[in-house]
Amino acid sequence: MTLVLEHVHKVYQDGPKEYVALNDASLQVQAGEFVAVVGPSGSGKSTLLSIAGALLSPTSGKVLLDGENIVTLSKKEVTKRRLEKIGFIFQAAHLLPYLKVKDQLNVMSVLAHKSKQQKTDILAHLGLEHRIHHYPNDLSGGERQRVAIARALVNNPQLILADEPTASLDSSRGQEVVKLLANEVKEGNKAGVMVTHDERVLGYADRIITIRDGKVELG
Amino acid sequence: MFLAIRELLFAKTKYILIGLITTLTVSLIFIVSGLAEGLSADNASSIQGLAADSLVLEAEAEGELGSSFIPMQKAKEIINDQEQEANTLSIQMMNATVGGGDKQISLALFATERDGMLIPEVTEGRSPKQENEVLADESLKQDGIQLGDELQLGEETTYVVAGFTTEQRYSHTPVVFVKSDDLEQVNAVAVKGESVSEGAYSTIPKMDALHGIPSYSQEQASLNMMIIFLYVITAFVLAVFFYVMTLQKRDQFGVLKALGANNTYLISGLIIQVILLSIVSVGIATAISFGIGALFPADMPFILNMATIVQPAIIIIVVSVLGAVVSLYQVIQIDPLEAIEGVAT
Ligand SMILES: Nc1ncnc2c1ncn2[C@@H]1O[C@H](COP(=O)(O)OP(=O)(O)OP(=O)(O)O)[C@@H](O)[C@H]1O
Ligand SMILES: [Mg+2]
Repeated sequence: MTLVLEHVHKVYQDGPKEYVALNDASLQVQAGEFVAVVGPSGSGKSTLLSIAGALLSPTSGKVLLDGENIVTLSKKEVTKRRLEKIGFIFQAAHLLPYLKVKDQLNVMSVLAHKSKQQKTDILAHLGLEHRIHHYPNDLSGGERQRVAIARALVNNPQLILADEPTASLDSSRGQEVVKLLANEVKEGNKAGVMVTHDERVLGYADRIITIRDGKVELG
Repeated sequence: MFLAIRELLFAKTKYILIGLITTLTVSLIFIVSGLAEGLSADNASSIQGLAADSLVLEAEAEGELGSSFIPMQKAKEIINDQEQEANTLSIQMMNATVGGGDKQISLALFATERDGMLIPEVTEGRSPKQENEVLADESLKQDGIQLGDELQLGEETTYVVAGFTTEQRYSHTPVVFVKSDDLEQVNAVAVKGESVSEGAYSTIPKMDALHGIPSYSQEQASLNMMIIFLYVITAFVLAVFFYVMTLQKRDQFGVLKALGANNTYLISGLIIQVILLSIVSVGIATAISFGIGALFPADMPFILNMATIVQPAIIIIVVSVLGAVVSLYQVIQIDPLEAIEGVAT
């Protein structure tokens, strides 16, 4: 999978005022590449990630997933691309409180109309095998975020997007989680983009991109 | 389905509580329906079960049995005009005393041809044979009347109960079938199938005659009004509950959408929850209503059977789903972007 953003503009309409959140942002992420996105608060990092993840459409510009421009797709199609091609990891784990760990993963298979095959591999890989029958409430913050990563990986998406995945974790837990993410990207030959404020995890990234005032400064 | 069921089970207490409220309103709907049905029968089972399909009345009576008067001579002509079997029917509300006592019993005297089609089946005793013998509804037994007892009407008339029949009540009183030979006028001519009438006489289907029974329409209307209100309350309670639940789960829906769940999946989950909840409530309410019905005294006009329950049960499930429509709209409105912190929608 390659992710390509070409001349992406995003203008937020805030009443009569216009706010340019992304200004001619272009970006390429190759398969097997793990890219970190940094920048001051309000610079447009989440906006960039949301556009790359088909959660938000740009005011102008192209977003290509394996060459397909998702900007022009219908809402329904876009939702399908998210399900099949993109794995999201959010700032908070955002697990469903009423599902046990195994079902947090099974729900992804259900959504994708796939059989609920054993998820023990992934869970073991993320050190969660002894938590399979626990509810999110009974997990630590780090465990929750690891379940969220497992959930993002279930349908074997080729693009992994993470918005401040370590924000709710302490430093060592944060390192652990980012290391995991970097490994998944490498091993699965996926494209990975992670927005972060945490300088200590930048070492795991192949490339660091800085955003300032909506402009991408390649590093 | 996957999510809907697991959430129901996880948030048991909430759903049990709302289920309890729905069960109570649904039970009330069933019980009031049973009462409406019971009162309807108590008021009109003799007409509802009348072995005829239509009635010829005096046109001026405008469908009211009690205001229609047909001279006997004319009634016989009308009967002759019919293609199918027809008999006269005359209804008179009377008070009777038993065996010289003081106690007054209200009766509805149905006068018709002695061996005519309108005479219902005898369930106890035998058909009247002697001049003064009559067939009475078995509810008269609750007034202590037995086979062979004498009913004193006014100074001159005395009837002897030769047999009992069942489900023959009119205007909340037991019906007594007497013979019509010596009457000078009758209220109606009851006809099997379509009836022929002309001039000062008109035809109505027998069920239309129910409205002419004193208080029938008013009774049914007020009970039906209660039932309709209970439907609305049930729908509202469920609508508000699922609306609030949906609001509470906004971010969950947002995350699910971000992960790739489409609206159809999320909406069908919600509808499954509503339908499950209302079906379980209807089921429990059915048991409760039958239980309460069994506790009612025998002479209480209350009729509850599966046939009475099916219609309201279906209506309840339909209005519950309708009530959930507001929440469906909410679900569709939720933006998957809500899963991403900081990017406001
Ligand atoms: N719906 C919106 N309407 C108007 N302005 C918005 C909207 N969403 C975001 N913005 C603005 O766009 C800019 C970029 O927002 P974004 O969330 O992408 O920043 P960020 O780099 O992720 O910041 P942070 O590091 O604080 O998460 C911010 O100034 C924000 O206030
Ligand atoms: Mg952000």
